Amino acid sequence: VFRNKIRCVSSFAGESAVPPNLLLPTNLVDPSRHRRPAPPPDTALPILRSCDTSLPAHLSPVRTWVQTLMNPSDEPLGLTELHPDVFAVPPRLDILHQVEIWQKNFKRISHAKTKVRSEVRGGGRKPWRQKGSGRARHGSIRSPLWRGGGVSHGPRGPTSYYYMLPMKVRVMGLKVALSSKLAQDYLHIVDSLDIPTPDPQYLTELIKQKHWGQSVLIVDVGEEFPENILKATEELKTVNIIPAMGLNVHSMLKHESLILTLETVRFLEEKLLWHDIRFSPLYPFKLPYSDI
Amino acid sequence: MSVTKKTGGKAFEILQNLPRITLANLRPEPGSKQLRRGRGQHGGNRSGRGHKGERQRGNRPRLGFVGGSTPFYLAIPKYTYNEGHSRRPQYQPLTLKRLQYLIDLGRLDTTQPIDLTQLVNARGVTVQPLKRDYGVQLVDEGSDIFAAKINIEVQRASEGAIAAIERNGGVITTSYYDPISLGILIKPVPFFLRGQPIPRRMLPGEDMVPYYSDAENRGYLADLDKIQQARIALALKYGYALPNISKDELYHMLSMRKDVRQIFFGLAPGWLVNMHEKKILKPTDEKLLKYYNS
Repeated sequence: VFRNKIRCVSSFAGESAVPPNLLLPTNLVDPSRHRRPAPPPDTALPILRSCDTSLPAHLSPVRTWVQTLMNPSDEPLGLTELHPDVFAVPPRLDILHQVEIWQKNFKRISHAKTKVRSEVRGGGRKPWRQKGSGRARHGSIRSPLWRGGGVSHGPRGPTSYYYMLPMKVRVMGLKVALSSKLAQDYLHIVDSLDIPTPDPQYLTELIKQKHWGQSVLIVDVGEEFPENILKATEELKTVNIIPAMGLNVHSMLKHESLILTLETVRFLEEKLLWHDIRFSPLYPFKLPYSDI
Repeated sequence: MSVTKKTGGKAFEILQNLPRITLANLRPEPGSKQLRRGRGQHGGNRSGRGHKGERQRGNRPRLGFVGGSTPFYLAIPKYTYNEGHSRRPQYQPLTLKRLQYLIDLGRLDTTQPIDLTQLVNARGVTVQPLKRDYGVQLVDEGSDIFAAKINIEVQRASEGAIAAIERNGGVITTSYYDPISLGILIKPVPFFLRGQPIPRRMLPGEDMVPYYSDAENRGYLADLDKIQQARIALALKYGYALPNISKDELYHMLSMRKDVRQIFFGLAPGWLVNMHEKKILKPTDEKLLKYYNS
């Protein structure tokens, strides 16, 4: 009996049957997973968007399909060119780990607090005289040796685990996450988020037909989203929609697939590439600069 | 380059065949974490503190104490040449080589007067007014490659540097900024957001007045005629033909000079800059005007 209902193939050569008591990890590579091939260089489909900034001569843009959410068929609308310095960076898994742990911990304030012997109620008087009573010598009934006494080295008060990773490390984390999603074929570009119906069932069937996986994260730029997609994702637990400013490594790793619109791609490239060419800050970037 | 480089390289291709990267798959770089658990946490047993005594009990005497005899820092006598060493004005050196580098890369605009603000905006120098920095000094390393016509204002300049700039048809002035004015000059935007009026720049103290009144140093308090004579004399000394600036098309820009009490070009002391509404407020009271114009 397999833990997951997907049939997995062992990588051992020469063994055809998987032993029944073998516990396989749930995210083992499934070769029957529908992986679409990279767009060949001689497709008839138009390039809907090319990179805004001019690339240096030694870099070539990455090409991916652009799909649509309107009809559930599998045919792509066209191609997009993605900047390699955002979507094809070396997969620095240690940076991903650092950024993920930072995201988890920097907000943490642990409120655990125990009372020290001076804070426990009572214990000011010497319980019995120093000499002659036959019992061990004690100074207060709330010392850590006593039952009901204070804790000597316990957690003290709200402790904050706040720290900031350098800005460029956090930016690199986003780039590495986007690149690894693209490399493993979990990134899908869509022209816009218009759906015919606000029915969540429509979305789930679309995701199933397009083989986008168990959980999907949809990202769009702009202050307003189309109503249909908002209503459809409201009910669903595994399909979530966020604005582009809210894109973060934790959400990208938690959801299996990532859906970006063309506008989002343009926004992300603009924002993430700026950090490669900017000057170091004289004063915080939130204050106005005339030239950056 | 004919071969296009794939930024991700081989790792990118290998990643395509590996399991999905999830929250469960991440682990830190081996060797980055130093966590130990249990009794070995602080080194075990005595935790590297030694055996008994002040060392283990954390009661060692202050830094510099040598057990009772006169410590080194008291045994060596003081001398006058070191007096007030931490209060002496310091000037961050700026080589002509670095200046040329900044101009070539386009970080400095030669069509406008070059000020300490422009140098800091171009990230050419880092000045720390809180560490007794009084500005920037021009050093003549790289004077043979320097070839740019600029109007530059620094706080100190060596003779060779002055010669190199004037040889190329530029104008150099040395001027004094007191520490508060320097802090404002370096970071104008945080100052404007404070909501204080621009202060008057203070005049130099009595030990610096001779330096800034001397035409040899192109001081801002010196006579313009004497500066012209000094320019001619320097050209003779270093053996170059002094170019005539007055016939230059950028003469107006090259002759721009700040007033003795002015910190920014185009802004007078007493004015208040409102960054959010993009307005400048000027004082109208007589006493204030008299004070700021004196």
